[in-house]
Amino acid sequence: MNPALIKVMLVDDHPMVQDGLSACLSFYDDIAIVGNCGDGSAVLETAKQCQPDVILMDISMPKLNGLEATEIITESLDSAKVLIFSMHESAEFVTNAVQAGASGYILKDTNSEEVYQAIKSIAQGKSYFSSSIAKMLIENPPAQANARLTAREQMILSYIAKGQSSKDIAQTLTISVRTVEAHRRNIKSKLNLDSLAELVRYAMNQGLIDS
Amino acid sequence: MSFSIRMQLFAVLQVVLTALLTYFFVTNEYRDLSQQNLDALESFLIEQKQQELKNYTTIATSAIDHIYDVENEYDAKRQVAQIISRLIYNNNDGYFFVYDNQGTNIVHPTEPYRVGQNYWDLVNDKNEPTIQILIGNAQNGGDFYRYPWNQPTTNTVTEKLSYSALLPQWQWMIGTGVYLDNVNDQLASIQSTIDKHIDNTRFIILFVALSSIFGIFIVGAVLHFTQKKESDKKIHQLGQKIVSLKEEEQRHISRELHDGIVQVLVSIKYSLEATCKHLGKQDIPKPQPLSQAQHNLSNAITEIRRISHHLHPRILDELGLAAALDALGSECSERTGLNITINKPALSKLLPDHINITLYRVVQESLMNIEKHAHASDTIITLTIVDNWLNLSIVDNGIGMQKAQFENPSENGIGTRNLAERVEYHSGIFEMKSSNKGTTILVKIPRSAFANHYNPSHPEQTTPEPI
Repeated sequence: MNPALIKVMLVDDHPMVQDGLSACLSFYDDIAIVGNCGDGSAVLETAKQCQPDVILMDISMPKLNGLEATEIITESLDSAKVLIFSMHESAEFVTNAVQAGASGYILKDTNSEEVYQAIKSIAQGKSYFSSSIAKMLIENPPAQANARLTAREQMILSYIAKGQSSKDIAQTLTISVRTVEAHRRNIKSKLNLDSLAELVRYAMNQGLIDS
Repeated sequence: MSFSIRMQLFAVLQVVLTALLTYFFVTNEYRDLSQQNLDALESFLIEQKQQELKNYTTIATSAIDHIYDVENEYDAKRQVAQIISRLIYNNNDGYFFVYDNQGTNIVHPTEPYRVGQNYWDLVNDKNEPTIQILIGNAQNGGDFYRYPWNQPTTNTVTEKLSYSALLPQWQWMIGTGVYLDNVNDQLASIQSTIDKHIDNTRFIILFVALSSIFGIFIVGAVLHFTQKKESDKKIHQLGQKIVSLKEEEQRHISRELHDGIVQVLVSIKYSLEATCKHLGKQDIPKPQPLSQAQHNLSNAITEIRRISHHLHPRILDELGLAAALDALGSECSERTGLNITINKPALSKLLPDHINITLYRVVQESLMNIEKHAHASDTIITLTIVDNWLNLSIVDNGIGMQKAQFENPSENGIGTRNLAERVEYHSGIFEMKSSNKGTTILVKIPRSAFANHYNPSHPEQTTPEPI
């Protein structure tokens, strides 16, 4: 296999979109579509099998949405970069995507040439945003963006508040204890809380777990 | 006329009829019974009087029996007349009178001027010759006669019952009588007692009927009130159900458009692009209709996305309320220049869809009102969960709202009143304070309405809307 070849995986619950995009990308010699899946919950498994360089990720999908799938990918599969490929054009989605670990964000109505450029940039370790998205981010920088917990962090907080240890959580989510610890640190810093007791009380007060 | 009012009138009519019938029969029965009793009593009293009169007469005749033996008839007659005129009983009302067989008065102690006068032709109010009848009765062995006569104690003409007998030696008629006024008084007093009883009965029937009618009206009113309350509640619930169904339907259509049609169009778009590339590879210039198709397709995608967003903000389902409010706020401040600050919790997806959309609509409508009427420069939207309450406040520094704007739905909006109802449907509280320094809208939803919604193992799974 050509070492410069960029391995791309498509995640979209619409096979027709996957087909259309594949047809376009097939005209570029340095891109190979190595896998696809139609649902966020199957992303990690498929990605582990086909080892893509870039994952083109839709957001709105049944079961698990693309943002949460992105978090799962970024915490377990360093080699794959995620490029969000979505119909949603608002700053909140972009912020959330970046927080989840996405390297880029393009809209589904961008032409295939730009999609190709985006894939290439991401594969080189850069980030890429559609021009309209970039403009939106500059004009309207989301305030206190990092104050909000990501879906994954919120899930882990709920487990912590229910009394599970990092080891338990790592087992439940099939991730490493170190990853859990990293999440735990992020949660504490985002919420500006120090102790476990404070975390539990916070989760209860906010209605994350039964009080 | 409603069913319950008709039933009420029917019941009242029945009570009135029953009361009337009862009254009619009871009084009639009473009257019949009392008339019989009175008649019996009257004849008993009269009989008693008759016996008395007979006895008095017997005593009187025996008191003068011995005088007949006197040789001088003139003296004897004078003596008899003297004795008889002294026999007075019952306070002057009881006395003896004596007439000869020609109708000339011989003894009349209470009206002495009659003595010596002839009353053979005296006719009373009943058109009967009083004295002739009395003499006739005496000659026939003694009998009773009722006739009107002057009563000494009262000096009025009253009905009198007299017994007359014959003193056979001199062919004199001796008689005595009682005035029946006290009998009549007695009967009248009994009659009035009975009338009183009838009146009492009438009053009782009237009272029972009136209280029944009153009772029917009270029960009717209470029923009517509770039914109205019930039906109002049902109408209210139905209204909210319609709103919920509409939101659900819009959400569904929005999803169909965004995740269905738009995706198909996107796939067509890439197919067209692939076609272009294919043509380019074969050095065939891109046909103009193809460019036109691509252009139109882009427009169609944009348009359908706009419609989808208008129907339901998808961001609410994907990222939760806080992010949706951020998007709403930045869209609004971009359009209007209003400074919007949004304070929101660090956690998301704690609320079920129906509460999310309600709060979203509250903010949407409020921002629309602020934009149209408030002339505000700043708005602060705060979403917090404190002490088992979810609080949403929208505070602006505008000129406040006029009363009319409170009540009337804004042109495109759903109206403040409607918002309040929607919030109350989720057991929440909706408050609005407005002064010339600005307007504050406060929504509170109790935790019980959204408790335990968050489920980490199925973060995408949302509870079905409890309609």
